[in-house]
Amino acid sequence: MLETLEARVAAQLAAGLNERATGVPHDIAERLRIGRQQALLRARQRRVALAAAAGVVNAGGAGAVASLGRTGGLWVALASWLPLAVLIAGLVLIQQWATQEQVMAAAEIDAVLLADDLPPAAWTDPGFREYLKAPPP
Amino acid sequence: MATDQELSDFLKSVEKRAFKRTVYAVRDEEAALDIVQDSMIRLAERYADRPAAEWPMLFQRIMSNATMDWFRRQKVRSAVVQNLSDFEGGDDGDEFDLLESLQTADGMLGAESAADLVSREQILLVIEAEIAELPARQREAFLLRYWEEFDVAETAEVMGCSEGSVKTHCSRAVHALAKALRAKGITP
Repeated sequence: MLETLEARVAAQLAAGLNERATGVPHDIAERLRIGRQQALLRARQRRVALAAAAGVVNAGGAGAVASLGRTGGLWVALASWLPLAVLIAGLVLIQQWATQEQVMAAAEIDAVLLADDLPPAAWTDPGFREYLKAPPP
Repeated sequence: MATDQELSDFLKSVEKRAFKRTVYAVRDEEAALDIVQDSMIRLAERYADRPAAEWPMLFQRIMSNATMDWFRRQKVRSAVVQNLSDFEGGDDGDEFDLLESLQTADGMLGAESAADLVSREQILLVIEAEIAELPARQREAFLLRYWEEFDVAETAEVMGCSEGSVKTHCSRAVHALAKALRAKGITP
């Protein structure tokens, strides 16, 4: 009984609220109408944008399928891995070239030292280093 | 897929109630207009392609979120705390006779004798004011259940609570309103 009574009172209160809601001032009603129109405009814009995006995707997908044929997937996979393979190969080559350069430079210094009249121990003499730094007369 | 006309009809059918509900919550007509407009735009942008039958629930969820966002932006902490935490109300301990108040409130809008004391328009204003004074969760449950005519399960889904909580909120709201109207001398 209590629930029935509650529902009946609630229904009366809601009816009263409806009465008040339908009588909102004209300026409020107008602003709500403008808001509704803006919402509808946004909905139309979204539909147009979605339709355009779907068209681009379909066209792009069809073009790719036509140009690549059935083996397109393999070529696409190869094309995506190719830059990485080139990069790794380039790094390995640069590493080998740098090592070779270091070896060659050390060998050249050794050759000069060994072929010179000056004994290698002279390079550890502080006086001789000062002589080398001094400008020529 | 729903058409523009269906969306327009739906928005037209809910916009005024949505405005009033938001005014009850934020107590600011300008802010309420912004919230309703923002909610309509969000629904149109995100869910215009959904079946029209889903719109009422989606719109209420969007409205609730937009209202909460407004409170957060305003940083009205006390209002939020007051509106979100006072589920219990202050009337649990008194000896208020619920049944008597409900029986008193029943028929108040259709009774000629009430019009002798307060005009119908004034009664409606008092009802609005009392609904605005309800705790936020009670007000939301009451309005969704009885004004938007959602069933208990739908109301629970929109509010993110159990069906039992919805029933409790609704019952307390009706009793609080009946008591408040009775206290103001609105009797059949």
